[in-house]
Amino acid sequence: MMNETCKDREHIFEDGTPGEWAALEAHADSCPACAEELKAWKSLSVAAQEMRDNTENPSFWPRIERALAEEAQRNTQRTVRRGWLTFLPGISLGWQTAAAGAFVLVLAITAGWIYFHPPGRIAESDKSLLKSAALDNVERAEAVYVQAIDKLAEETKAQLENPATPVLANYHEKLVVLDSAIADLRAQAGLNPSNAQLRRQLLAMYQEKQHTLEEVLEARKQ
Amino acid sequence: MGTMGLALPWKARIASVPRQRETRVEPSEHYAGGPNPAVVNAITEDAALAAGCRAGNLHAYERLFSLHGARMKNLARNLLGNPVDAEDAVQETFLKVQRSIASFRGQSSFITWTYRILINTCHDARRSRLRKKEVPNDDSTETPRPEPRTPGAHPSLRMALERALGSLTKHQRDVFLLYEVEGFRHAEIAGMLEITETASKNTLFQAKKNLRMTLEPPRSSAAESR
Repeated sequence: MMNETCKDREHIFEDGTPGEWAALEAHADSCPACAEELKAWKSLSVAAQEMRDNTENPSFWPRIERALAEEAQRNTQRTVRRGWLTFLPGISLGWQTAAAGAFVLVLAITAGWIYFHPPGRIAESDKSLLKSAALDNVERAEAVYVQAIDKLAEETKAQLENPATPVLANYHEKLVVLDSAIADLRAQAGLNPSNAQLRRQLLAMYQEKQHTLEEVLEARKQ
Repeated sequence: MGTMGLALPWKARIASVPRQRETRVEPSEHYAGGPNPAVVNAITEDAALAAGCRAGNLHAYERLFSLHGARMKNLARNLLGNPVDAEDAVQETFLKVQRSIASFRGQSSFITWTYRILINTCHDARRSRLRKKEVPNDDSTETPRPEPRTPGAHPSLRMALERALGSLTKHQRDVFLLYEVEGFRHAEIAGMLEITETASKNTLFQAKKNLRMTLEPPRSSAAESR
């Protein structure tokens, strides 16, 4: 015969209060179906106790303890290695975000500066500056060299204007040709001061004039 | 529903034994008479253990082991099927507790948190074995086959239940083992499995119903007609 307790049996099994359980057990004394169900339900719990096994392994804790100690040691080493970053947790998240934002801003400005002032342009202007300075040096040295040769020519002037020997007359003619070539090259170099080829030719002409004047001086001594 | 009883060889032996509930304190029981001193002590102990472990005190870990080591190993063995893997899982759990204790915020009890780590570690180990083809399927009908254990335990009783546990889903198995074998409360199980207390009760009910169906002998037509 089914009554309310029989109908509520499953609900009590699922979520019964202690009072409901007591009522079901009292009811089971006079209801064989509920008694059987109750017994079977409880028998599962009793069977579950058999799945407990508290056999102790004496070496188990020492093994865990060793592993924990090793892990702690590794953690300490890691902490020492990351020591310089330990100040970070002490700074609030807001400040960390602000610092990161500022860093990004500086990075962006730097990138923009590099973009608008590429290294190529700087090098180019530097190169032109160097080139101008080098050219000035060359021109200054050249002027000194020309003055020195002019002084040498001054010393041989009288001898060459009235050559006493045919050799001196030849030297005179050679020097006139060289002076003409030098004047021509100087005019071209003035138009294109960066032309290295012209400057080399001019230097060669001056050197030739220098040797010729030295030979004239040697001839006078003899 | 007419019943024939469970097809267990130990039916006669256990028929009249009442369920041992003295170790479990359900919330409905301790709320009625104000704070239970045992519960208050447990909370204090839990906080002390958490603080000790957070400070890196090995004695706190030793205390945790002495209080829960056996139960943790038992749960792991029932989930994994053998004591060697169970010990590995418990050791891994202790290491995980040590590594992540700094992130423990006390939203659940420290013990509940520790068991949650243990259960997840066991599931990870099972999945890992599954990948190595050692375990056929996590939710298959095949359940972990525990190795022979204490001579005192009733082998056929245990084996019948262990086989029947294979018919349960992973969640049902977890709840059954935690509640019926390990004696945890539904509130604690809810914290460990991250489900509601009601879901824990319902899952246990479904698990026991399924176990009964698995363990009941086939009904004869005569029995049906009764």
